[in-house]
Amino acid sequence: MTECLTKTGKKVLTKGNYAIANAAVIAGCQCYFGYPITPQSEIGEFMSGKMQELKRGYVSAESELGAINMVIGAVSTGVKAMTSSSSCAISLMQEALSYAATDELPVVLVSVMRGGPGLGNIYPSQGDYNQATIGGGNGDYKLIVLAPSTVQECVDLTYKAFYLAQKYRNPTVLLADGMLGQMMEPVEFGEYPYPEIDNSDWALTGAKGRTSRVIRSYGPLADDRCVFLKKLFEKYKTIEENETEWEEFNTDDADIILVSFGGPSRNVKSAMKECRRQGLKVGMFRPVTLYPFPSKRLNELAGRTKKFLVVEVNMGQMVRDVRLAVNGKVPVELFNKPVGSPPEVDDIVNEVKRQIKE
Amino acid sequence: MEKNFIIAGFGGQGVLLAGEVLANAFMMAGKNVTWYPCYGAEMRGGTVNCEIVMNDTEEVSAVNKKEADFVVALNQASVERFVSKIKKGGWMIANSSLAKEIKTRADINYLFAPITKLAENVGNIKMANIMALGVLAKVSRLVTLESLTEALETVIPAHRKHLMPLNLKALKIGYEYDLLPV
Repeated sequence: MTECLTKTGKKVLTKGNYAIANAAVIAGCQCYFGYPITPQSEIGEFMSGKMQELKRGYVSAESELGAINMVIGAVSTGVKAMTSSSSCAISLMQEALSYAATDELPVVLVSVMRGGPGLGNIYPSQGDYNQATIGGGNGDYKLIVLAPSTVQECVDLTYKAFYLAQKYRNPTVLLADGMLGQMMEPVEFGEYPYPEIDNSDWALTGAKGRTSRVIRSYGPLADDRCVFLKKLFEKYKTIEENETEWEEFNTDDADIILVSFGGPSRNVKSAMKECRRQGLKVGMFRPVTLYPFPSKRLNELAGRTKKFLVVEVNMGQMVRDVRLAVNGKVPVELFNKPVGSPPEVDDIVNEVKRQIKE
Repeated sequence: MEKNFIIAGFGGQGVLLAGEVLANAFMMAGKNVTWYPCYGAEMRGGTVNCEIVMNDTEEVSAVNKKEADFVVALNQASVERFVSKIKKGGWMIANSSLAKEIKTRADINYLFAPITKLAENVGNIKMANIMALGVLAKVSRLVTLESLTEALETVIPAHRKHLMPLNLKALKIGYEYDLLPV
């Protein structure tokens, strides 16, 4: 399976997991550290062959803690590095993510969500929206979070994850789900489309000929920490202003706007189209970046639509961000499935009709 | 136009591979396609299935669909599980070597072919999945033998290339099954 690399201009049918791994290699990822877990094990499998072949770094870590801390070590030296994992194992990485955020390190983490909480199961889920966007590490920090909805987007957003991580020196999460990881679609890899970011002013490359540098998260003085956090949040503000990305369809005249992210948004899009075919004024909104979340745009749309219906495969997590964005202007309802493949299109259409009647 | 397919059978019958070949064939014919496997604690001997959605207009298709246009069932359990999911006027293609020739619905089309037996006759029981694709190609008229052949070339790994002639033979026999004396 390690064959499918950079066939520029030619489509190949591949799984989401392989697409992510392949794109990471093309993006210039020099080191992969990981520990297997379904439904993302193909990423590690691909990397174990490909990285060796390309004489880059691959370590099958002793645990997820080991893997994420190895990534921290590698990116500190200025190279691109990543790990990938799923749900319960990403829980184990939360401490390191807090450190990486405060150390301003361009860690790339691929999170392929499965059922939770706890060990849960291996079926697709969106139950880690909060884990990715709010996080479980201590302190004030943000991770950039990108949510693909097709296998092609798994490629495009993997490129983007490496770029944004470098550009802002911020840990970046590619938040996919088991469905996208396991599904196959035609993709085109092309070349890595972003410029390389110069990191010579901070990377730990050996202090020959210059004063030594230290990357650490410890800030013992209260005042210093205030200055640091304010600066860190200035960066987050810049990210919010420049990198917020979403997709919207038929929102101009919509009475009700469906909001959905990731894999399940495919079924939501089909449902929206079916509603339109039946003459119902239904629109759709899909956040591509979950942090920064497109709150501003949702608030604008709240001024002209009558209702939002959030469709998620969890018990209702993004719905809270939509409610915060809409800020009480119009009702925000939830249609969810706790875990598994996305809700069937007909079920979404029926729920839309029920919501319109209410 | 959108058409969706379910291929189902025992784990080990090559259900997912058949789906992958079909999806590749659609891609090679310039269509948009999505292959979505049931995945979980599946194992050899258990049941397994995959859904293939082909679309020549929309770039992104919904998955986990309520109904299918074509079901290829390689065993009895799959016939029972998926017969109710077939759209009115759709097709059930069943492997009569491992499934009963009983028509439980009047509003769909049935094709029973002794796929496993035919594969054994070709010389390798493992060819049943590809033979089923031959039958499907004929019945659906949505994919050509040329595209399927090209897809096989891509999907079959280097160390299995010696099985290409047998696969192609199975594909052809499946395609011409309805012309054979039963």
